Amino acid sequence: MSNETSPAGAAKRRQGIDFKRYLTSPQFFLVLIIVVLVGIIGSAKPNAFNGAFVIAPLLTSVAIFTIVGLAQMMVLSIGQMNIAVGNMAAFGAMFTGLAFDLWKMPFIAGLLVGLVAGALIGALTGWIIAKTGVNSFIVTLAMSFALLGLIPTVYTTLSPGSAFTAKPEGMEFLGRGTFLDVCMAGYCGPAAIPVMVVPVLLVVLLVGGLYSKTKLGREILLTGANIKAAELSAIPTNKRVVLVHAISGALAAFAGILLATSTGSFTPAIGNEFMLQSFLGPILGGTLLAGGYISVTGTFLGITLALLIRRGLELFGAGIEMLNVFLGLILLVALSAERIRTVRRRKPAELPSETPPDQPADRQALSSGATA
Amino acid sequence: MRLKTLTTTMALLAVSTLAITACTPQDATGGGASAVSPDAIKVGLISGGAHPYFQPWAPAGEKAKVDFKLGDVTFNETAAWDQTKQNDVINSMVANGYNAFGVFGVSPTDINSTFANLAKHGVATAALGSCPAGESNAADFCLSTDTQEAAYKAAKAAIEAMGGKGTLAHLTGNNVDSNTQRRIAGVKQAVAETNGAVTLLPDLTDVDKDLTTAQKAVSDLLASKGSQLNGIVSTAYNPAVAAATAVKDSGLKIKLVAIDDDATILSAIKDGSVSATVVQNPTGQAYVGTYALSKLASKQCTMTKPGEIVDSGSFVVDSKNVATYETERAEKTAQLQKDFDSKYLSCK
Repeated sequence: MSNETSPAGAAKRRQGIDFKRYLTSPQFFLVLIIVVLVGIIGSAKPNAFNGAFVIAPLLTSVAIFTIVGLAQMMVLSIGQMNIAVGNMAAFGAMFTGLAFDLWKMPFIAGLLVGLVAGALIGALTGWIIAKTGVNSFIVTLAMSFALLGLIPTVYTTLSPGSAFTAKPEGMEFLGRGTFLDVCMAGYCGPAAIPVMVVPVLLVVLLVGGLYSKTKLGREILLTGANIKAAELSAIPTNKRVVLVHAISGALAAFAGILLATSTGSFTPAIGNEFMLQSFLGPILGGTLLAGGYISVTGTFLGITLALLIRRGLELFGAGIEMLNVFLGLILLVALSAERIRTVRRRKPAELPSETPPDQPADRQALSSGATA
Repeated sequence: MRLKTLTTTMALLAVSTLAITACTPQDATGGGASAVSPDAIKVGLISGGAHPYFQPWAPAGEKAKVDFKLGDVTFNETAAWDQTKQNDVINSMVANGYNAFGVFGVSPTDINSTFANLAKHGVATAALGSCPAGESNAADFCLSTDTQEAAYKAAKAAIEAMGGKGTLAHLTGNNVDSNTQRRIAGVKQAVAETNGAVTLLPDLTDVDKDLTTAQKAVSDLLASKGSQLNGIVSTAYNPAVAAATAVKDSGLKIKLVAIDDDATILSAIKDGSVSATVVQNPTGQAYVGTYALSKLASKQCTMTKPGEIVDSGSFVVDSKNVATYETERAEKTAQLQKDFDSKYLSCK
């Protein structure tokens, strides 16, 4: 299957259907649910707009988990998955912690060490998948077990309390700082926006740009949509697989480092909560499990929705059992509603025979499988 | 939807957040220090996750609410042993008007950042049940069992029951927790005092996750080393309960010193299959902790020494005092409250 159709035809159609398509896209649906939820939570709990204690922590979580979602989305774009996303985050964060604690490196240098470590472990995973042809689920599962054993061992061997606690200058500012700390001409920014959103926005735009603006991005999507067709089009698919896993590893490491800077220290527990969320964001946002179609905006919105539901329930003081029951139910309703909406919209359309089950028909008319 | 849409969405989010919270003048200060009446004080008691150890916190908090006429005292155990989730729970409660927190920090190396952030916004904080790792304590005070002292007492009791010689095994909790490191140090100290008469097997850590994990660890230990063992000391709740049952069932002549006062352990002390147990004072932590927090949140009192570390007490319970130890524990709780009034708090 390919998402590529004639660019000229697509351009003509786009002008007419762009607005309508936006209104019926999963992203718009997510925005709608988010707005409704914010309205409900805000009207029932006016203190939900507390900048320092509700919005800033929520935006910090959204920032971190959007990166986690993108790490998974990269791999989903080639029709594979990364079960080791949390462990790769822990692996990258461990190297940054080592760089700060043992090698006394400054903040930016330590951050780069972690990102490179994440990219290397991701590249190794991708290389094994490309060379052996073993399913990505098996390889990343094996990798997650290997790292699950390795990481705590390194921590216990190299640090007295199983944590790297050194805080070089800049770490506190990135992890816990808000724009309240950024002052100019006697006025400071709002306490509701964490500093962390800036680098995260940059990364989100870079990933979005990779898929929507570059040839490499299109090659990656084609590799995911149909690997044989991609090979016949002279795309070096093995190299693309390794590259995608390397970027996924680096993104996971970045998320792990951000989490460590926001909680305060580097511990083996980093990334424990990443795996489920990493799938939730992209899938809620419309990324296909089968590969070939991604949505960066959708991933961001999916993550925002999941975290908003959790935060809303916490504000209402839901107990641990109710929290999980509600979270499951709301997500189920959100996903079912999205599914019903897609099916209703598909009815009048003629479906091309190669359309995957989850793919709306008019997406086939797009010039690319990427939405940013 | 293209990159443009992504940029638009991000921009919309940024603008709406900015609209909600406008810019702040640089010299804006937090709350003043005017007195807060007791019914405006809302205390959150936040455990690290669901664990039987924290169960007495809920009734103790309720009692404190009535006794000290506080606005509210809420026990919350939804942190699920994750520091980020624990921070989220605390933040949500601050937004709901809670102005004092007693927290069992999930990650002892991170919890100081949480306390520092709360202090910045004028919220009273206490580390309950576990003090932050490292040299400093950013909470107003820490009220916790001196875990090294409790482990030392337990190991001494086990060595005494073993007749002062033989092989001892130590079962304990999460290796990453600094409290576990202190417990290991306490047991080692007691063994070192025997000058080689007692051999300590390598510490069995991370077996306090749940009862099933503990049961498996204990049965593995008894299967592999049971015949050489003379004593077991458990400084964590679940392995203590698991060992009490397993030692009794196996019929081995192993002297067991447990921790806490689960019904299984108390009945095992009564029938003689467990030599002793070291009980802690979670009720005292929650009750006196709430009392001191309410004083701090009223803005009428401050800590004489900010970051003070207070031992909430630990008691060796054996067949002789199994029926009466509650009195001893209640006395310690009353004493703690007096100590806060006379020593640790300085009030206007």
